[in-house]
Amino acid sequence: MTSAQTHTENGAQTDGKPVAHGADNGHLHKYGMVIDLDKCTGCGACMVACMSENNVPFRDDETDKLTSITWMRVYKLTNGKPYPDNDVCYLPRPCQHCEGHAGHSPCVSVCPATATDYSTETGIVSQIYTRCFGCRYCMAACPYHARYFNWWDPVWPDGMEKYLSPNVSPRMRGVVEKCNFCFQRYQLAKDKVYVDGESTVSEEAYQTACTQACPAGAITFGDLNNPEHLVHQLAQPDDHHHGHPRNPNAFRLLERLGTNTKVYYVSSREWVRRAGDNYLPDEQTGGGGH
Amino acid sequence: MSTVDEQAKVPDSPAGAETGAPPAEAADESSGSFIFLFFIIGFFAAAILGWVVFPKVLYSTQYQPIDFSHAEHVEMVDEGCESCHYLREDGSFSGVPTLAECIDCHEEINGDSEDERIFYEEYVAKDREVPWLVYSRQPDCVFFSHAAHIVGAEMECATCHGDIGESDSLKPYQENRITGYSRDIWGYNIAGFKRNTWDRMKMDDCSDCHQEAGGVAHSSSVQTQRGACFVCHK
Amino acid sequence: MKIDRRCFLSFAIGGAAGTALSPLPWKLTDDSSIWSQMWPWTPVPPDGESTYDHSTCTLCPGGCGITVRSIDGRAIKIEGRDGHPVNQGGICPLGLAGLQLLYGPTRVKAPLKRVGERGAGKWQRISWESAVAEIAETLAGLRSSGQAHTVAAISSRNRGTVAALMERFLTALGSPNFLRMPTMEDAQELGLYINQGILGSVGYDFENSDFVLSFGAGLIDGWGAPVRMFLAKSAWQDAGAKVVQIESRFSNTAAKADQWVNIRPGSEADLALGIAHVLVAEELYDTSFVGRHTADFDAFQAALADYTPDAVATTTGVSVETIAALAKAFAEAASPVAVYGRGKGQVPGSLKEVLAVTALNALVGNINQPGGMWAIPEGEGMPWPDIETDAVAAEGLQKPRIDGAGTGKFPNSRYLLNRLPAVLAEGSGYGLKALFIEDANPLYSLPDTVAMQAAFAQIPTIVSFASHMDETAAFADYILPNHVYLERYEDVVVTAGLNTRTIGLAQPIMAPLYNTQHVGDTLIQLAQAMDEPVAAAFPWEDYQTCLEESLGDNWDTLEEEGVWTDESFAADPEAGFETTSGDFEFVGDLGADVLTAATAAAEGDATAYPLLLVPYDIMRLVSSRVGAPPFMIKTVPDTILKGQDILVEINPQTAQAAGLADGKGASLETPRGRARVKVHLSEGIQPGVIAMARGLGHTAFDKYLADKGVNVNSLMGAVIDPVSGYDAVWGIRAKLMRA
Repeated sequence: MTSAQTHTENGAQTDGKPVAHGADNGHLHKYGMVIDLDKCTGCGACMVACMSENNVPFRDDETDKLTSITWMRVYKLTNGKPYPDNDVCYLPRPCQHCEGHAGHSPCVSVCPATATDYSTETGIVSQIYTRCFGCRYCMAACPYHARYFNWWDPVWPDGMEKYLSPNVSPRMRGVVEKCNFCFQRYQLAKDKVYVDGESTVSEEAYQTACTQACPAGAITFGDLNNPEHLVHQLAQPDDHHHGHPRNPNAFRLLERLGTNTKVYYVSSREWVRRAGDNYLPDEQTGGGGH
Repeated sequence: MSTVDEQAKVPDSPAGAETGAPPAEAADESSGSFIFLFFIIGFFAAAILGWVVFPKVLYSTQYQPIDFSHAEHVEMVDEGCESCHYLREDGSFSGVPTLAECIDCHEEINGDSEDERIFYEEYVAKDREVPWLVYSRQPDCVFFSHAAHIVGAEMECATCHGDIGESDSLKPYQENRITGYSRDIWGYNIAGFKRNTWDRMKMDDCSDCHQEAGGVAHSSSVQTQRGACFVCHK
Repeated sequence: MKIDRRCFLSFAIGGAAGTALSPLPWKLTDDSSIWSQMWPWTPVPPDGESTYDHSTCTLCPGGCGITVRSIDGRAIKIEGRDGHPVNQGGICPLGLAGLQLLYGPTRVKAPLKRVGERGAGKWQRISWESAVAEIAETLAGLRSSGQAHTVAAISSRNRGTVAALMERFLTALGSPNFLRMPTMEDAQELGLYINQGILGSVGYDFENSDFVLSFGAGLIDGWGAPVRMFLAKSAWQDAGAKVVQIESRFSNTAAKADQWVNIRPGSEADLALGIAHVLVAEELYDTSFVGRHTADFDAFQAALADYTPDAVATTTGVSVETIAALAKAFAEAASPVAVYGRGKGQVPGSLKEVLAVTALNALVGNINQPGGMWAIPEGEGMPWPDIETDAVAAEGLQKPRIDGAGTGKFPNSRYLLNRLPAVLAEGSGYGLKALFIEDANPLYSLPDTVAMQAAFAQIPTIVSFASHMDETAAFADYILPNHVYLERYEDVVVTAGLNTRTIGLAQPIMAPLYNTQHVGDTLIQLAQAMDEPVAAAFPWEDYQTCLEESLGDNWDTLEEEGVWTDESFAADPEAGFETTSGDFEFVGDLGADVLTAATAAAEGDATAYPLLLVPYDIMRLVSSRVGAPPFMIKTVPDTILKGQDILVEINPQTAQAAGLADGKGASLETPRGRARVKVHLSEGIQPGVIAMARGLGHTAFDKYLADKGVNVNSLMGAVIDPVSGYDAVWGIRAKLMRA
């Protein structure tokens, strides 16, 4: 079943009832990201933009990267060749917002608390901190290490809590958190759509903090369902093959797990594309989508 | 109220049972009703505790800094509630007016009410925000969009806020000592029953209405087939 | 009637039933779950009206436009400003984390006076009035005893009203000692003066270049205006322009370049001259430009004799073929440009190197051409009335500068702060009695921190204007805290390699959080607390009046737009040059010797110290006056910082020779110091080279930054360029032992 059919099914439940009103009803978005790894310089602006947008806490020592909470993390890939043929590529990794099969992404399928959910309206995998009871099953299920556990209560040095954003709820000890494509920005954009009397959230009205900040313009964000959006044009997702990119330079991480992610990466370098999945030595890249 | 052991004794001593001691039986009877009385006492004591005492202990009562009359103000303004509680241009909701907004009309004392005098002297003159107690304040994890409800669903303010707009006086604010939220969220009926739509504003109440409304936004959750969490949470 | 155990049980059961049928247990369960979901100690950020205000970031010389989002006047987020001429909406990690500096715990919250030993951290709060009065009295004492010239000031910049006020203050007192923090701009400016006779800065029209030959410039590691460089880099990729990075370490710039030329560290000038040799020998150069517009080509050509490809290949480790190919590609490109300045360009570097690299641009005729290297003449000075100096001031101003710049050996150099430790240690100069430090942290960010601190220790009065308790402020006698950039007005004159004349305006986003004062106001108050001639030089009521008056017609534009760019400015290739010959001069009066002299070697004995320690810059750390905020430290990979330990990058071959394994502790020793480090094995670095990130090893600031890693400046000494006097250090000899 394709994602399009899933949407129809959900839409059908509303038959016979007055379809509600207002912003974006009837619009089934599939928000996604395309990251140009050739343009990414590894500067880390996306990570800081994310932290400052999303009230991400920090601790005295953040060098234990297993416990360091970074919704967006820039990984450094190397081609494994010895000096001087070594090559390096940076790979920013937000939550991949897996659609899986009909919205059953790895984490959503296992959450016993309904704390994480997949929305067919936006394609965003949500995380409700107050609902989470900290079993961390989702962290085990996520193949991308995109989820982080709050081992400690967040503490801001005296006075620094003043920069916290009211649009994002600060988390408490014992819950899991992760990238949500700056969903608060979608909420605010929708509010604006209501008062402006428009029909849908436009491409520029909803952009994530990392996309907006990236000084190299490496990140593109938008609705993969909308052919007018740049992400659609860059990734060229094939809806008949679970969104597999038709752009030959585009790939998704561990695509053959069937996670059907919504973060696409573009690289002109073959070794980088190979790094995105597990390949046999003689196997070619670009054959995913199943 | 007899134990298995006591019952087991009966067949062992039939004579005793037949010829036995009526006083003991009578004592049992009186003790039985007596025991039942204790049950009743316990039951009602607990029930009174739960229904009457508990709510009184659970909530602390606070009073608003100024006894504001909505009725009086609504009469004087042109656009009803939206004169002071409006949607901003960016789609967010202004909520309780700030001091600066109040000062638009109250640059000086306009009438002869005691409350206005307090307001002027304590807040306008000292340039202090009024620490209003907000009955409808939701937990931090809630994202409530006034725009979606007022503009999108064309709902009336009263559907959720009741007739506060017609009140002459602000009712005392009851704060839950455990959660810190207003009693209005759970509702004044301690059992959680409600008669009006505005009597309670817990998540289930939101959810009930969203279920009825239907639409994509209200059925987009893969987990629940209802509204996705991120519609109203942040 | 007897109340027995049964009655009690019955009562309890009744009570249980009554409780179960009351709302108590269910309500309590609900409430306690809400309580546990929202601990009262988890902050709830207050909501309110959201507003956006524009300003200019001052955290680095880049001058990016920023937009600050506030909720009811409380700044909560910094974003890049869309459509800004410098950064076009992009922003770097430091700019994004600026609010952690605004609200941070190391803010100096009121004027402080030292009460304990220097650097002991014992302070007493004093009022602005007494601070100003006490310092004015000290300065008046120096003036009356004929020591006005022993007052000096250090600033990170010499452009804009604040620096001009500082310089004016010194002039009015009678001191010639305004010192700018060293950067690559020092050497570039000197090179520009020698080559073109122009006082000003060097700009690059990168957006129109199609071949960029970078001699170690960290083009995407924070060089110039970092965000502008990121944008340029993406534009090169889209347009198919080629980038060649010449560097001993596979930096991010090298990784993103089309070609990495792996060079022996410190030999960049030689490679540039080797390429020039090929261009000249094979007549690949622009004969038209060289013929029509250069004066001393013969001298230059003579200097190239020593730089045959074979000789250069031996010096640099770059093959003869690569040298030839680079020369060919550079000559064949339509708009090639060669760029200078290692890493973020925080060390001036040798004059030989800047002249050699610029010579390449001249050889292909890409001076003041589209896509080339441009001269950006310094704007006019401040429209302020002349200072009427009294006899005391006149006498002081007659004295030579303490750093020797502009006189004797270094006639054309402007600021030589790096020479200060040596001069003060030798006792050759007249010594300093008072030092003002504004917008700079010399005790952290200059090489040889130990010598610099020893020099500072000889100065009786040190006044810092720092907003945060940095290393230099901690060593001061008075701290007169400036507002943080988000709380103040300031004109930001952007050079940073821009090929435009741009001024940004920093504007207050919030009212000052603490008892701080604009440094401009403090200077005006200090001057006005002094005698007539000094006070008269500062006729303004306050800094704001001075700023508006100084900017003149531009003020309105700046206040409205937040940025002003001189639309009339563009490089004119036909305008000619301002040298005495009227032509471009490769070496000017210095003659060919400047190019044939040996390149400054790294300090230390090669036998005792077989390895080379070379610092490197990354975007995720800050090595200037600013302490990296917690968010940035969080982004630092664990291959650079692990716990409190810094990791130095070495080649596996180096590690094997020293018997070290990845992640293992080691003792790193240089002629200047010793430090405990860990090693990170990397295939992206030359054997024999140790690379250490700049920006760690702070002793000041908060627990998120202090005492983490090693300050590479504590392991290195300054290397004085014999011609310019600028610091030409690029590394130091070192050894690495198993700890």
